[in-house]
Amino acid sequence: MITVITLPAEIRFVRLASLAALQVAEIFIDSLNPSQSDPGFCDAFELSVSEAFTNSVRYAEHPEQDKTITISFSSENNKLTVSVSDTNSPFNPDTPSPDLSSYPENGYGLFLIRQLMDSLSYKREEGTNRISMTKQAYCSQNYNP
Amino acid sequence: MIISENTFNNITVIALQGTLDARNAPQLKQFNSAGAAANSIVINLSEVDFLDSSGLGAIVSITRLKRSQGGDVILACMNDKVRNVFEITHVYKLFDIYDDVEAATLNAEKKQTSL
Repeated sequence: MITVITLPAEIRFVRLASLAALQVAEIFIDSLNPSQSDPGFCDAFELSVSEAFTNSVRYAEHPEQDKTITISFSSENNKLTVSVSDTNSPFNPDTPSPDLSSYPENGYGLFLIRQLMDSLSYKREEGTNRISMTKQAYCSQNYNP
Repeated sequence: MIISENTFNNITVIALQGTLDARNAPQLKQFNSAGAAANSIVINLSEVDFLDSSGLGAIVSITRLKRSQGGDVILACMNDKVRNVFEITHVYKLFDIYDDVEAATLNAEKKQTSL
Protein backbone atom coordinates (compact mmCIF):
# COMPACT_ATOMS: atom_id res chain seq x y z
CA MET A 1 0.00 0.00 0.00
CA ILE A 2 1.47 3.34 -1.02
CA THR A 3 -0.52 6.53 -0.80
CA VAL A 4 0.87 9.97 -1.55
CA ILE A 5 -0.78 13.32 -0.83
CA THR A 6 0.75 16.68 -1.76
CA LEU A 7 -0.63 19.80 -0.12
CA PRO A 8 0.32 23.50 -0.19
CA ALA A 9 2.64 24.43 2.68
CA GLU A 10 -0.06 26.46 4.39
CA ILE A 11 -1.36 25.99 7.90
CA ARG A 12 -5.00 25.92 6.73
CA PHE A 13 -4.29 22.46 5.29
CA VAL A 14 -2.99 20.93 8.54
CA ARG A 15 -6.33 19.35 9.44
CA LEU A 16 -6.65 17.85 5.98
CA ALA A 17 -3.21 16.27 6.49
CA SER A 18 -3.99 14.89 9.96
CA LEU A 19 -7.41 13.56 8.91
CA ALA A 20 -5.83 11.84 5.90
CA ALA A 21 -3.37 10.14 8.25
CA LEU A 22 -6.19 9.06 10.57
CA GLN A 23 -8.14 7.57 7.67
CA VAL A 24 -5.18 5.71 6.19
CA ALA A 25 -4.36 4.26 9.63
CA GLU A 26 -7.99 3.16 10.11
CA ILE A 27 -8.04 1.47 6.70
CA PHE A 28 -4.69 -0.19 7.46
CA ILE A 29 -5.92 -1.55 10.81
CA ASP A 30 -9.13 -2.75 9.19
CA SER A 31 -7.15 -4.59 6.51
CA LEU A 32 -5.20 -6.45 9.22
CA ASN A 33 -8.15 -7.44 11.30
CA PRO A 34 -11.60 -6.13 10.40
CA SER A 35 -13.09 -7.26 13.73
CA GLN A 36 -10.68 -5.30 15.88
CA SER A 37 -10.12 -1.58 16.14
CA ASP A 38 -7.07 0.12 17.60
CA PRO A 39 -7.92 3.77 18.25
CA GLY A 40 -4.56 4.43 19.94
CA PHE A 41 -2.72 3.38 16.78
CA CYS A 42 -4.83 5.57 14.51
CA ASP A 43 -4.75 8.55 16.90
CA ALA A 44 -0.94 8.37 16.93
CA PHE A 45 -0.82 8.88 13.15
CA GLU A 46 -3.37 11.71 13.28
CA LEU A 47 -1.39 13.60 15.94
CA SER A 48 2.07 12.86 14.54
CA VAL A 49 1.17 14.11 11.07
CA SER A 50 -0.43 17.22 12.56
CA GLU A 51 2.82 17.95 14.40
CA ALA A 52 5.11 17.20 11.43
CA PHE A 53 2.99 19.18 8.96
CA THR A 54 2.84 22.15 11.35
CA ASN A 55 6.63 22.10 11.71
CA SER A 56 7.07 22.00 7.93
CA VAL A 57 4.80 25.01 7.47
CA ARG A 58 6.39 26.88 10.37
CA TYR A 59 9.89 26.50 8.93
CA ALA A 60 8.99 27.26 5.31
CA GLU A 61 11.22 30.30 4.80
CA HIS A 62 9.67 31.54 1.58
CA PRO A 63 5.99 30.61 1.62
CA GLU A 64 5.37 32.90 -1.34
CA GLN A 65 7.21 30.39 -3.53
CA ASP A 66 4.20 28.05 -3.66
CA LYS A 67 5.92 25.40 -1.55
CA THR A 68 4.30 22.05 -1.01
CA ILE A 69 4.45 19.33 1.62
CA THR A 70 4.19 15.70 0.58
CA ILE A 71 2.77 13.03 2.87
CA SER A 72 3.33 9.43 1.86
CA PHE A 73 2.25 6.20 3.49
CA SER A 74 3.65 2.72 3.07
CA SER A 75 3.12 -0.54 4.89
CA GLU A 76 5.02 -3.72 5.50
CA ASN A 77 3.38 -6.60 7.33
CA ASN A 78 1.79 -4.99 10.38
CA LYS A 79 3.89 -1.81 10.28
CA LEU A 80 2.64 1.46 8.84
CA THR A 81 5.04 4.25 7.92
CA VAL A 82 4.15 7.85 7.15
CA SER A 83 6.70 10.29 5.74
CA VAL A 84 6.36 14.06 5.64
CA SER A 85 8.63 15.80 3.12
CA ASP A 86 9.37 19.45 2.47
CA THR A 87 12.01 21.57 0.71
CA ASN A 88 12.89 23.75 3.70
CA SER A 89 16.46 24.18 4.93
CA PRO A 90 17.96 21.09 6.56
CA PHE A 91 17.47 20.79 10.30
CA ASN A 92 18.71 18.70 13.19
CA PRO A 93 15.94 16.36 14.36
CA ASP A 94 17.91 15.41 17.48
CA THR A 95 16.66 18.37 19.43
CA PRO A 96 16.53 17.89 23.19
CA SER A 97 13.15 17.10 24.74
CA PRO A 98 11.30 20.06 26.20
CA ASP A 99 11.68 20.66 29.93
CA LEU A 100 8.34 19.15 30.94
CA SER A 101 8.64 20.45 34.49
CA SER A 102 8.43 24.04 33.24
CA TYR A 103 5.29 23.41 31.12
CA PRO A 104 6.49 25.32 28.04
CA GLU A 105 3.96 26.66 25.54
CA ASN A 106 5.70 25.11 22.54
CA GLY A 107 8.47 22.75 21.46
CA TYR A 108 6.48 19.53 21.95
CA GLY A 109 6.20 18.49 18.27
CA LEU A 110 9.05 16.03 17.80
CA PHE A 111 8.80 14.96 21.44
CA LEU A 112 5.18 13.93 20.96
CA ILE A 113 6.00 12.06 17.75
CA ARG A 114 8.77 10.13 19.53
CA GLN A 115 6.41 9.21 22.35
CA LEU A 116 3.64 8.05 20.02
CA MET A 117 5.53 6.23 17.26
CA ASP A 118 7.91 3.26 17.39
CA SER A 119 10.56 5.02 15.33
CA LEU A 120 11.32 8.37 13.76
CA SER A 121 14.03 8.93 11.14
CA TYR A 122 15.23 11.95 9.21
CA LYS A 123 16.83 12.09 5.78
CA ARG A 124 18.06 14.99 3.70
CA GLU A 125 18.19 14.08 0.01
CA GLU A 126 18.37 16.30 -3.06
CA GLY A 127 17.18 19.37 -1.21
CA THR A 128 14.32 17.59 0.51
CA ASN A 129 13.78 16.93 4.22
CA ARG A 130 11.98 13.70 4.92
CA ILE A 131 10.73 12.71 8.36
CA SER A 132 9.55 9.09 8.47
CA MET A 133 7.49 7.74 11.33
CA THR A 134 6.68 4.05 11.79
CA LYS A 135 4.37 2.23 14.16
CA GLN A 136 3.54 -1.43 14.48
CA ALA A 137 -0.06 -2.51 14.92
CA TYR A 138 -0.81 -5.10 17.54
CA CYS A 139 -3.75 -7.19 16.47
CA SER A 140 -4.81 -10.49 17.97
CA GLN A 141 -3.50 -12.51 15.01
CA ASN A 142 -0.01 -11.07 15.17
CA TYR A 143 0.30 -9.84 18.72
CA ASN A 144 3.67 -10.91 20.04
CA PRO A 145 4.49 -9.23 23.35
CA MET B 1 -14.05 27.42 17.76
CA ILE B 2 -15.48 29.19 20.84
CA ILE B 3 -19.14 28.36 20.59
CA SER B 4 -20.44 29.92 23.79
CA GLU B 5 -19.38 32.02 26.75
CA ASN B 6 -21.43 32.41 29.91
CA THR B 7 -20.48 34.26 33.09
CA PHE B 8 -22.17 33.55 36.43
CA ASN B 9 -20.89 34.30 39.93
CA ASN B 10 -17.69 35.72 38.43
CA ILE B 11 -16.89 32.42 36.71
CA THR B 12 -16.80 32.37 32.92
CA VAL B 13 -17.55 29.06 31.22
CA ILE B 14 -16.36 28.87 27.63
CA ALA B 15 -17.25 25.94 25.43
CA LEU B 16 -14.90 25.01 22.60
CA GLN B 17 -15.77 22.88 19.61
CA GLY B 18 -13.98 20.94 16.91
CA THR B 19 -10.23 20.94 16.40
CA LEU B 20 -7.56 22.83 18.32
CA ASP B 21 -4.47 22.86 16.12
CA ALA B 22 -2.17 25.42 14.51
CA ARG B 23 -5.03 26.82 12.40
CA ASN B 24 -7.00 28.16 15.33
CA ALA B 25 -4.53 28.21 18.25
CA PRO B 26 -3.70 31.92 17.64
CA GLN B 27 -7.41 32.78 17.90
CA LEU B 28 -7.69 30.91 21.21
CA LYS B 29 -4.54 32.58 22.55
CA GLN B 30 -6.03 35.98 21.90
CA PHE B 31 -9.32 35.10 23.54
CA ASN B 32 -10.54 37.96 25.71
CA SER B 33 -13.25 36.99 28.10
CA ALA B 34 -16.16 39.37 28.40
CA GLY B 35 -15.85 38.93 32.16
CA ALA B 36 -13.45 40.78 34.47
CA ALA B 37 -9.75 39.99 34.07
CA ALA B 38 -9.58 38.37 37.51
CA ASN B 39 -12.52 36.04 36.80
CA SER B 40 -11.65 32.39 36.58
CA ILE B 41 -12.47 30.45 33.43
CA VAL B 42 -13.83 26.95 33.02
CA ILE B 43 -13.03 25.55 29.58
CA ASN B 44 -15.56 22.96 28.48
CA LEU B 45 -13.75 20.63 26.07
CA SER B 46 -16.58 18.13 25.59
CA GLU B 47 -17.00 19.06 21.91
CA VAL B 48 -13.27 19.18 21.11
CA ASP B 49 -12.47 16.09 19.07
CA PHE B 50 -8.76 16.75 18.41
CA LEU B 51 -5.98 18.79 19.98
CA ASP B 52 -2.30 18.93 19.05
CA SER B 53 0.64 20.74 20.68
CA SER B 54 -0.41 24.07 19.14
CA GLY B 55 -3.81 23.85 20.83
CA LEU B 56 -2.16 22.71 24.04
CA GLY B 57 0.23 25.68 23.92
CA ALA B 58 -2.68 28.09 23.46
CA ILE B 59 -4.41 26.73 26.58
CA VAL B 60 -1.17 27.01 28.57
CA SER B 61 -0.74 30.57 27.29
CA ILE B 62 -4.19 31.82 28.35
CA THR B 63 -3.78 30.02 31.69
CA ARG B 64 -0.52 31.84 32.43
CA LEU B 65 -2.15 35.14 31.52
CA LYS B 66 -5.22 34.44 33.65
CA ARG B 67 -3.14 33.45 36.67
CA SER B 68 -1.03 36.58 36.32
CA GLN B 69 -4.29 38.55 36.56
CA GLY B 70 -5.39 36.76 39.72
CA GLY B 71 -7.76 34.28 38.10
CA ASP B 72 -7.45 30.65 37.08
CA VAL B 73 -8.33 28.23 34.28
CA ILE B 74 -10.04 24.92 35.03
CA LEU B 75 -10.64 22.23 32.42
CA ALA B 76 -13.68 20.02 32.03
CA CYS B 77 -14.90 17.11 29.92
CA MET B 78 -11.83 16.20 27.84
CA ASN B 79 -12.08 13.04 25.78
CA ASP B 80 -9.40 10.33 25.90
CA LYS B 81 -7.62 11.59 22.79
CA VAL B 82 -7.26 15.10 24.20
CA ARG B 83 -6.38 13.80 27.68
CA ASN B 84 -3.56 11.73 26.16
CA VAL B 85 -1.80 14.88 24.89
CA PHE B 86 -2.07 16.51 28.33
CA GLU B 87 -0.67 13.37 29.95
CA ILE B 88 2.29 12.73 27.61
CA THR B 89 3.43 16.34 27.97
CA HIS B 90 2.73 16.41 31.75
CA VAL B 91 0.73 19.59 31.19
CA TYR B 92 -2.19 18.00 33.07
CA LYS B 93 -0.25 18.81 36.26
CA LEU B 94 -0.91 22.51 35.66
CA PHE B 95 -4.66 22.10 35.92
CA ASP B 96 -7.60 20.97 37.96
CA ILE B 97 -9.44 18.73 35.51
CA TYR B 98 -13.06 17.62 35.96
CA ASP B 99 -15.32 15.22 34.14
CA ASP B 100 -18.27 17.60 34.24
CA VAL B 101 -18.73 21.35 33.94
CA GLU B 102 -20.80 21.65 37.13
CA ALA B 103 -18.02 20.23 39.32
CA ALA B 104 -15.44 22.39 37.56
CA THR B 105 -17.55 25.52 38.10
CA LEU B 106 -18.11 24.73 41.79
CA ASN B 107 -14.36 24.27 42.23
CA ALA B 108 -13.68 27.58 40.47
CA GLU B 109 -16.16 29.35 42.74
CA LYS B 110 -14.58 27.85 45.87
CA LYS B 111 -11.11 28.84 44.73
CA GLN B 112 -12.23 32.34 43.89
CA THR B 113 -13.91 32.94 47.26
CA SER B 114 -10.85 31.62 49.10
CA LEU B 115 -8.59 34.20 47.44
